[in-house]
Parts: sequence; C-alpha cells; structure tokens
Amino acid sequence: MTPPYDPGDVVEVLRAPEPGGAGGAYRAFGETLRGLKTTMKRMTEKPVTVQYPEEKYPVYPRFRGRHKLHRFEDTGLEKCVGCSLCAAACPADCIRVVAAENQPEHRVSAGERYAAVYEINLSRCIFCGYCEVACPFDAITMGHDYELSDYDRSDLIFTKEMLLAEPLERTPLRREGE
Amino acid sequence: MITFSIDGREVQSPENLMLVDAAKYGDVEIPVFCYEPKLGNPVGACRMCLVEIEGIPKLQTGCSTPVKDGMVVHTQNTRVHEAQEAVVEFLLINHPLDCPVCDKGGECPLQDISFGWGGGRSRFIEPKRHFQKPLELSPLIAIDRERCILCYRCVRYSQEVAEDYQLVLQERGAASYVATFDGHPYVAPFSGNIIELCPVGALTSRPYRFRARPWDIEGSGSVCTMCPGQCNVTFTVRDDRVLRVLQRDNAEVDDGWLCDRGRFAYQAIHVDERVTSPMVRGQDGQLVPVSWDRALSEAAAGLTAAGSAVGALAGSGTTNEEGFLVQRIVREALGSRDLDSQRAPVSRDALLAISDPALQATVPDLEFAHAVLVLDTEPVDDMAILDLRIRKGVRRNHVKLAIASARPSSLDANAAASVRFAPGAGPAFAAELVSAAKGEPSSDDARSIVALLREAGEDVVILASERVGVALAALADALGLRDRAGAGLLVVPSSANGRGLREVGFLPDAGPGLSPVAEPGRHAGQIAEAAATGDITALWLLGIDPLRDLPYRLRWEQALSRAATVIAHTNFLTEGIRDHATVVFPAEAYAEKDGTLTHPDGRLQRVRPAIGHSGAGRYGWQVLTDLGTRVGLHVPRVLTSGIALAQLAQAVPFYAGITQDEIGGRGIRWQERPAASAFPAPAPASVNVSPAPRVGPSAPASGLRLGTFRSIWASPEVEHSPALAFLRPRQKIEMAPSDADRLGLGDGQRVLVSNNGTQVSATVALRQAIPAGSVFLQDGLAEDSANVLTGSIVEVRRA
Repeated sequence: MTPPYDPGDVVEVLRAPEPGGAGGAYRAFGETLRGLKTTMKRMTEKPVTVQYPEEKYPVYPRFRGRHKLHRFEDTGLEKCVGCSLCAAACPADCIRVVAAENQPEHRVSAGERYAAVYEINLSRCIFCGYCEVACPFDAITMGHDYELSDYDRSDLIFTKEMLLAEPLERTPLRREGE
Repeated sequence: MITFSIDGREVQSPENLMLVDAAKYGDVEIPVFCYEPKLGNPVGACRMCLVEIEGIPKLQTGCSTPVKDGMVVHTQNTRVHEAQEAVVEFLLINHPLDCPVCDKGGECPLQDISFGWGGGRSRFIEPKRHFQKPLELSPLIAIDRERCILCYRCVRYSQEVAEDYQLVLQERGAASYVATFDGHPYVAPFSGNIIELCPVGALTSRPYRFRARPWDIEGSGSVCTMCPGQCNVTFTVRDDRVLRVLQRDNAEVDDGWLCDRGRFAYQAIHVDERVTSPMVRGQDGQLVPVSWDRALSEAAAGLTAAGSAVGALAGSGTTNEEGFLVQRIVREALGSRDLDSQRAPVSRDALLAISDPALQATVPDLEFAHAVLVLDTEPVDDMAILDLRIRKGVRRNHVKLAIASARPSSLDANAAASVRFAPGAGPAFAAELVSAAKGEPSSDDARSIVALLREAGEDVVILASERVGVALAALADALGLRDRAGAGLLVVPSSANGRGLREVGFLPDAGPGLSPVAEPGRHAGQIAEAAATGDITALWLLGIDPLRDLPYRLRWEQALSRAATVIAHTNFLTEGIRDHATVVFPAEAYAEKDGTLTHPDGRLQRVRPAIGHSGAGRYGWQVLTDLGTRVGLHVPRVLTSGIALAQLAQAVPFYAGITQDEIGGRGIRWQERPAASAFPAPAPASVNVSPAPRVGPSAPASGLRLGTFRSIWASPEVEHSPALAFLRPRQKIEMAPSDADRLGLGDGQRVLVSNNGTQVSATVALRQAIPAGSVFLQDGLAEDSANVLTGSIVEVRRA
C-alpha cells in the first residue's frame, strides 16, 4: 500500500520521555499541583453558573425581548391606533393588525382608529426591533422578557391583551457596571 | 409630432399635449395633484407642476401649458426645486399629517409627493385650521376637511363629469371647504368615484374605513357582473375577503368610473344571508342544507323525471360557460326546447338583424359620434356607466343627444331633443323613426328626431333597449349606419350578460351562435303558462327569481307552485326561491366566478376569481358539468373554465378559437376578430318594419297608462349590502302633478295602484316631467313590485 504522499527518505518520530525517574515524578505531581493552585485560588469565589429557572439572567436595558404595548398613563387609552406600520416594517411578517373605528361610547385609543386585533406571532419574530422603530406613537416597544418557550406553537401568538398586560415575572435588568 | 427639450434632452411628442403628459415621453415626471385628464380641462389649482420654460419669465404650470415645437423646459434646476418645495410646504400648512390614522396612508399622492419633492420641513408654527371630523358627506363617504388641499377634483367631478351639481366649495380663501350646496348628504348614483379621485385622505370610503392598509391587501382584477355595463374592477382582497372595489380603467368599457352599486354592493358577498351550501326542500317543507351529492342527485332525478318538460331561465351574472352548459343539458340530455334568457321575447331574426357586426357601435363611439339617440332606455338604470359616457360626449365633444323614451330621462337636460311616447310604445316609435328616416309620412316627433340626427352628422350611435327589436336594424340602415366605423347600434340587453347568453344559444328559437333550431321552444312568458297548466313540470333558474325579475308575477306564482321540481342557482333566498325551490345550489358571488361575459358591444371579458368560495360553494361550470353527467350528457368533461370556453368557442362560429389568453385583462370584441365573418347573415325580409299605429303619451280614456322601470338600486345585492341599505328602493308611483290634482293626491301620499283585480301599494312621487296620463312604477323590488300588475292601464286611489 503506498501512502497518499511521499514521506521522504527520513521519517522522524517524536516520542515522549519514558516514565520513571525525576522527570516522571515531576510530571505526576508538579503539574497536578500547578492545576490545583488554580483550583485553590478560585475556591473562595462564588460560582458563575446561574441557577436559571430559580434565578434570572439580568439583561441590558436595550435588550430586545418580548414586545409590550403601552397605554397612556393619564387616560388609560391605548397608544396604538392600529396604523399597521409595524406590520409593514416587520421583515418576518409576524404582526397582524386589524383596525376599527373608535366610537364615542367605546373609546379604545386616542385617535380615530384603534387596533381591534393586534397579534404578534412570536414563534416567527426575529426580535429585530423594527416595529418599535416604525411606530409613530411609541405604542410598541421591545420589552425585556425572554422566557417565551411554550408547549404549543399557537400559544406563541400573542394577542393585544397579552401584549398590553405587564409580564408576570419581571426580568432583572443589569446594574451599572455589571 | 414636435420636438422639445426637457432637462437638456430632446424629446418627441405630439403637439399641444400638456407638458405634464409630454414630459412622460422623455421619462420625466412632473408631480401633480389637481391634474386629471378624466375631469376635463386642467384648472391649475394646486401649483404643484410648476416648471421653467425658457423665454417665459415666471414659472408655468405644466398641467395647463401645451407643449410647442422648440420649447425648452427645465424641471430640475434650483428655481423649480425651490418652487416645488414651497408648494408642498404650502399644501401641508393646514394638513394635519395624521397619516397613521388616515385611510389613504400608504397609497396617498400627498405622501408620495411630499417625500419625493418636498423640503421635509415647515416654518408654520401658527395653529392649523380645524374642522369637525370625521363627518359623513354621505352614508358612503367620509369627509375630513382638515386633510383637504383644495385641489377641486371632487367638485369638478360633481360639476363636470357626474353633473349632479351637488358638491361645491363653500366660503373663500383659507376658509374654503368642500360641501354639498344645500348641506344635504351627497347621494348620487356615481358619488363613490370621488373617493378614488381624492389625492389626499379627505374623502374616504365609509365601508372600507380602517379595514386594511395598502400593504395588507392584494388587488385582483375582474369584471363587475351586476349590470350590462360590465365595468372593469379591481377587488381589494384581505384574508380572502373582498374589502373594496376599485375601478380598473378600460376606456373601451367604463372610462375609469364606477357606479355606487358596483363600488359598494361587494358587501353582499360576505353576509350571513348568502346561500353557501346546497339545499333541498325537506319533508316539512323547509329548505335544509345537504351535501353536494344529495343535492345533485335530487336535481338530476327531478330533471330526468321531467325530461322534455323542463323549462330553463337564466339571468343576472350567468357566464357564457354556464349558459352554454345549461342549454346543452336542456337540449341534448333532456330533449327540451324551452329555455330563455330574455325578459321580453325578441325573435331570432330580430336578434340577428340587430347583432349584425356591420351595425355595431362600441362604447367609445358614444363619446365621439356626431349624434346619439337614446331610445326606450334609461342609461343610469339599465347600464349605468353609459350615463357618464354620454354626458362626457355632450359636454366635451358636443355630441347632439336625442332622447326618445316613455319615462323622463335623467339625460333630458343634456339632450338637444327629447320626446315622450306611451309606456311600451318603444317598438312603435322606432317604426315611426324608420318611416321618417325613409321620408315616408310620420309623426312630428319622429321627423324632428331624424332631422336632428341627420343635421348633426353621419356618425349616429343608437343606444336602445333590446325590446325595441328589429326596427333598430331598419332604423340604422335608413340612417346609413351600416359598415360605418364610429356609428351603429348599441343594444342594452335585459340582464347583465344578456348578449352572451343569447349568443351561446340560451334562447327558445336559436342555438349556439344564433343558429336556427328545428322547432322553436317556449319563451319565458310561455314557460310560465306551460308550467301553470302542468305542461312543464321542472323549472331550472340560473341567477333569476321570476317573481322578482320577470313580468306577470301571478302567473309565475302559479307556475312555481305547480312545478314538481324547481332548481335554483342563487346567492340569496329571494321570495320565489325561498317558497318554491326544491333544490337550491349556491351560486357564486361575482368575485368567486371564473368565466367569460359578453358586453353589449360584443366585447368578451373575463371574470376571474378573486377569493375562494364561501362555505361549500363550487364553480358554476363544475356544478353544471356534474349535473350534466348525472342526467346523461355525453360530452367531454369540463375540468376547467378554459375547457368550457373551448367547447363554447367550438359551438359558436363567430367566437371560434377564442381563448382566455386572447381575451386577457381588457377583453376583445368578437367583431374585430377574423371569425366574425361567420356571423349568420340576417334574412333580408326580416328587416322590413311595418309602421305601427301611432301611440303617443296622451292620456287614455280612463285610468292611467302604466310604465315600469327597474331602478339601479333594485337588486338583492343592494338589499343585502349594509352600506347600501339606505338606498333600497321602495315602491313609489311617479305621476304628473296634473294627474295627481285630478285624483286629489299629493306628494308622499300612500296610494293603491290596481288593475284586473291586482294591486300594489305605493307612495306618490310627483314629477313635473312625467307626461300627463302616464304613471311609472318600479320593477324588481322585494315587495310591491310592479310585476304584480297585469295590464297597461291602472287605477290609482288613496290607500
């Protein structure tokens, strides 16, 4: 059998020193101690592992998590007027808006129209934040919530009521310098 | 062609074209708001189109400056840019910039032009003008006056195109606003067009209000099947629902306008009342939804049992393919000869004579002819879009308009002459016209009309109702219209696809291609008689409810209750179908249909599906093929509407070889294809018209002469469209004030109109223009329809 390349005339084989003697003893204990030195040094430090379900990983203030819809604080009316610009901006086509007209006896938003249906399919969302940029009324923002896994895809279609509600468990924010 | 220079480029264009249009020959776009050639002469109201022309010190409006040879035009220098930015800034001074809530957002010329030509800034810090908003200009149109940029388009439309003279600009200067003259809602047959004309979001559709955004929707081109006008439309579709109907400009058909029925009656597609599954009358006498298989076998059993005792009727939007398949099943599989698609019988000979390709006028001919004669038809009710076309011809091209009708026409004010005859005397008056045209003795009215037509010029277009019949051909010949381009006959059929249905052979006395049949069958009236006496045991109704759409309601009631089998293809359970049909198939809404129609001028047009079928609906040709197979029709199976069209094109010689591709999006007139030479020549003898006895509008000895008409709003689609519900017609009796005085009646009074033991109740509507001795009632209504009455002389008394 010929090798796939020409090995040349001289084949040099490098071998580790044979065990035994002083060299062997150093390798057995010296290197182990050097490793243990690192272990001992870090022994007193707290673990970096986050105990995830019990403990939340903090996010940066500009983290783009699950969307939130907002209301005016004074009137309680929704900021969203159902203009669909977020749906137009969405590269994943995951937002669906159906608008309707505000009635004097049933006022939902501040403008003439409001979003009768506002759905975000979070299983499609790529969390790019374009919807937030497109919104002319700051009605939609990217929140901090990132715990979005679920057992059913259809449960990932978030309706307007879900998006307007505050997330149940708030995600911790990263502190200054953290 | 002249040569001018624009932005340093030599461009060739026709002379006297407006600069805005001429610039397009050099691929230069000049922004415009108020310029719209369809509205007539430019007004130069918005100043957006300012351009610099060398030799003229000030900037000129491109929309109203005709291009001349050697002109040097600049649109891209600092001076023009500054002017454009200033105009945009000016237009936006009072504009609220509420694009996120505005329905026009995304398809708004003001947005586009502000983005493309505006400076992107404003120095205006004073308060903007405010109006109450949103307001209803009419139940169909919302007006937001803050958004209005006062371009005058809607006002010009109302004043110069629709000529309803309702919209005006109130106040002056910065306080100007668009309103109706008297403050009443803007209700007119063509009011919806201003929604599409408005270049900003000031006029928006109320039914479409906030339904969708331009990026949520898809457009789907088709043809409106609600009247013979067959206007080209684009359906706006979102989530498989039609949300809006827009015009699809086809100068050969509709000139880019739509009537309000065509624009808003789409709502009837998505209502709960629509029939969306097959139904069969159960043991308890109620219609119950069943499977297709069950309904088809019941229908097939009923038809087979009746055999040659089947009578078939077709109307409204029945496509050529459906009509062809049904006539084939009726003639070939069942051996019956009784089928009809006409409201009043017109013989094959007469149809051949008036459909002769040498005598056909086209729709644009109405606009460019020397004279137009409207004979025994009311365009706004019978073929609405032609009303605007005739007005355009009279206003812009000085067409001489003559009107001869029983009922005063809405076009009378535009007519050079209008004469009245007694209701039902259309054919007789046409015969008088023929005599007058031949120089034979005739009435003064007929002589004056013929003199007017002759004086105006050689190109005369006669727009007439189908029921006038054979005299039309004689009249066209007597006026020398044969083989003359730009002149001839335009015959308005009684149903939306009346011409197509008769050309595919849905007639008692003619087969496909108006071919002769061995033995003519019964026409609609005779079918009713035969069914009432039991000679016909099965009735097959395609898109027609005889109790509503055909005369002699009582006879039809007897016929429908006597018939053992009544099969109906329908969208709505109108009275006759609800009470008498044994099998009901869901007909398709026109946005679901796939097929072809034939326009009254011979243009074949495609109806294309925009949405899927509601409920269990199926394609009409599919249902008819299945039914045909079950009753033993042995023909190649129809698997697509294209196959149906191919079979049809084989059977109709003058449609030979026509395909869906050839018809395309704009349609094609069969008279312009080589196959038109296969049209069977009419027998020369049939063109002879014997002069009928003189029937003037004079009062009869006793009682009043009854005329009927079908309003544009009399259709189930209008009744079931929530937005149009306010237009749903109620029976009113139009009468002359002198008759009302004689009978002691006043406007708005409830009366009973009776004859021969039948009666309808109506409200008196006095009209000065109604000839004394005649009264007019509406047909096609759900209740109190004029077809209850059986004679032509009625008594009117207070209810």
